[in-house]
Amino acid sequence: MAEVEETIKRIQSQKGVQGIIIVNAEGIPIKSTLDNSSTVQYAGNVHQLLMKARGMVRDIDPQNDLTFLRVRSKKNEIMIAPDKDYFLIVVQNPTE
Amino acid sequence: MSNTTVKQKRTALKVAKSSKTLNVSSGVFRVSQSITKTINPSISGKSFSSASDSKVLDKSLAQTPKHTVQVFDEHGQDVTPHPLYNPDPGVLQPKPGKIFPAHDKSWTTMTDFPSVAFQTTNASFTGPFTKSFFGSVSASRTSQTTESVTDETKELLVKPDLSSSLSDAQARREEVKEQVREDIMDRVVDSYLTETETIWLLDIPAVSVSEDSGDAEAVKERNNAYTELCKNRHGNDKYVERSMQTFNDAPKTKEVQSDSITMVDKAVMSTTWDMYDSFCNKGDVSENTVVSAEGNKATVPDSSSMSHLLNPSGPDQSMSVFSTTSTVSGSSAHLEKMTCVLPVEEEPDLELILQSDKFKQDLAVMERVVLANIFQPKLAAYRQLPVIEDPDCVQTQIEEESWTEQSKNSLSPFLEHLWVFKCELTKGRNVSSMTWNKKNPDLLAVGYGQLDFKDQKPGLVCCWSLKNPTWPDRIFHCESGVTALDFSACNANQLSVGLYDGTIAIYNVQTTEQTPIIDSSDCANMHACPVWQLRWVDHDTGLAGEDKGEMLISVSGDGRISKWIHYKGLECVDLMKLKSPNMIVNNQRWNPKILSLAPGLCFDFHPNDSKIYLAGTEEGHIHKCSYSYNEQFLETYKAHTGPVYKVTWSPFCPDVFLSCSSDWTIYLWRQDLSKPVLGFTSGQKVVFDIMWSPHCATVFGAVREGKVEIWDLRVSSLDPMIVSASSPGVNPTALLFTPETDCVLVGDSEGQVTVYKLKNLPAGDSTQVEALEDVIRTTLSSQHTLGKTDRNA
Repeated sequence: MAEVEETIKRIQSQKGVQGIIIVNAEGIPIKSTLDNSSTVQYAGNVHQLLMKARGMVRDIDPQNDLTFLRVRSKKNEIMIAPDKDYFLIVVQNPTE
Repeated sequence: MSNTTVKQKRTALKVAKSSKTLNVSSGVFRVSQSITKTINPSISGKSFSSASDSKVLDKSLAQTPKHTVQVFDEHGQDVTPHPLYNPDPGVLQPKPGKIFPAHDKSWTTMTDFPSVAFQTTNASFTGPFTKSFFGSVSASRTSQTTESVTDETKELLVKPDLSSSLSDAQARREEVKEQVREDIMDRVVDSYLTETETIWLLDIPAVSVSEDSGDAEAVKERNNAYTELCKNRHGNDKYVERSMQTFNDAPKTKEVQSDSITMVDKAVMSTTWDMYDSFCNKGDVSENTVVSAEGNKATVPDSSSMSHLLNPSGPDQSMSVFSTTSTVSGSSAHLEKMTCVLPVEEEPDLELILQSDKFKQDLAVMERVVLANIFQPKLAAYRQLPVIEDPDCVQTQIEEESWTEQSKNSLSPFLEHLWVFKCELTKGRNVSSMTWNKKNPDLLAVGYGQLDFKDQKPGLVCCWSLKNPTWPDRIFHCESGVTALDFSACNANQLSVGLYDGTIAIYNVQTTEQTPIIDSSDCANMHACPVWQLRWVDHDTGLAGEDKGEMLISVSGDGRISKWIHYKGLECVDLMKLKSPNMIVNNQRWNPKILSLAPGLCFDFHPNDSKIYLAGTEEGHIHKCSYSYNEQFLETYKAHTGPVYKVTWSPFCPDVFLSCSSDWTIYLWRQDLSKPVLGFTSGQKVVFDIMWSPHCATVFGAVREGKVEIWDLRVSSLDPMIVSASSPGVNPTALLFTPETDCVLVGDSEGQVTVYKLKNLPAGDSTQVEALEDVIRTTLSSQHTLGKTDRNA
């Protein structure tokens, strides 16, 4: 448990990381280092994208499953690690 | 005729002439009062008896004996079907009592009626129904005309009770009968049971006739005649078309109101994976539906969450619950819960997630991804991939320009600093040894421990991954300083660690457990002095018996080179005792019986012949020994004046090896010559570590106090090709080349492991073995005493 907290802190302290959000299965953010409004926005939008992405992967091959999703934009990169019970979002701007 | 809302209390008796019974209730009441005397005026006030009143009216008006619902067949027999409902005469009594206050009057005539009625209607009625009728009639209806009474009884259906009406009626009738004919009681009476005639309710004659029957011919003839008739009909004068107009009955509007049909939209999205999941979890569906039914909660999510909690075994099972509930719930709900299994409460949510293993893995992956973003150019350079600029970033271009400028400007070789492995834990520790994993070239094990006997503190072994330079993947704390490390080649997850107190431990790096698999502290023969070098050596070639396979060999400060066997604990067998050669003290031979062992500092097995190995001692001697002969050395090379810290065979030239020592020198030897071929020295600094480059035969690296040197014998044998000074106060203490790329790792006394890339090295197609041999040859031929000169410098 402490190990997990430490890892989260380490990620947070890496260069360019803007925030970490942990969202539960319902799409409700349960832990976040960003402010509330951004968190809710990210959580809601990522949830939908994740479902689409997962649906797409599994439609093509039902035995496959989504393990990681990265969205690179002009200003930053959103990295999503999905799972059945939760998903983990990290927003980073690596060029900072 | 106007309509009245007559209560539907009649049976199917109402075959025809039903309109006659529908009367204006007010009219009926008035008429009834005027016509009949026995009918209670109170009847008129009740709609309950409106039907019966109508009958009375009918009877009085029509004055016909039979006006309704009497069906006669062709023989004049009354075959009116009887109602199936028989009002109970016994129950009738109290009710008529309420409604008909003149009940007594009606009863007085009761006895008369049954007999009379019975006789008159016997022809038409048979069976027990009539008896019950009379019973009911007598109780509820009084009229002067017997026929009307019987008719009315048929139509009267207001009494709800049906209990044992028959028996009561029969009893009454029989009582009445016996009163009449007492005299004939003793007579034997014959009773005849006859079957009633068959009552046809519906008779549809068949339209087809069997061919075998007698009528078949006649039928066929008739059919033929008919078909001919039809043919002739067209254009025949006998048949004239004529139209008829039928009367149109007055239309009647009837409204019916029904319950509104509630429409519910249901939709299911069927996707390939949904079908696949349902198919896979077919067997679990029944189990889960039972569970979810037991959950019995109002909302669908909760029921599925119950099933999840009760069936924690398979993640797929939760999906199957959703596939069953999804057909129940609407499509939107299905979409929401598609990928989710919901715990019941919020709080355990966070805890459960944070403690799950999957989350830890995901976090680790995420950390690596984040770091990959940051270190991407460095890692690309490491892996000899083209470094591509990030198109979105503008700032780093400035950095990169300055960076590439340096490299462009200087065409000379240099070490390009890539990154540093360091973290909080390793601060202040001295890097004593580094080794690559044999199987995973990205995994590096670094041992931290003081090399001096002072400042001893608990050691540390960190397994770093190239993918995460900020935090080691594995951390093992050791009791004393770590002095030697080696990964096993057979079992790539086993890391042997040699400690300052002489213990050898083998760790399994697949787990994060802090305890080693095995420890040599129980062994009786364990080393008493620091283990300076460890190596897993594969003795596949040549040796028979138990010596096949990989073995751990160590050299320690107590002068022994031992072989360790992992068999119910570590056991060691001495391969060699490093005896110090005879010392001449005061012109007297030291007593050879008192053997003093020189502390061994390093050893190296021949890359091709695993039986031969070199060992360096603290006295400065290098011994060539054989694995199978542990009494004497094969040869001794004496040149160094200080402890030999490292001896290493050249990976390309089978006869050449290097040695370094604290006497500021590095010697290049050829194994058949007892004197070194070349000596390298630059400055008066202790050389801690040397290593041949795995790519080029003429390149090797050396680590001195305060400097990192890369020598290339093609370029010069007097000066190192690259000298990289480290920051003041920090001494590089360990050197490691990367087996696959052209990078070099340098560990220093501050606990940092820096990764450098060798840039602008003179290119060569092959491994330059010939070049090395050339160098050696020329050196040998030209100067024999080079080693001596270097030593003195």
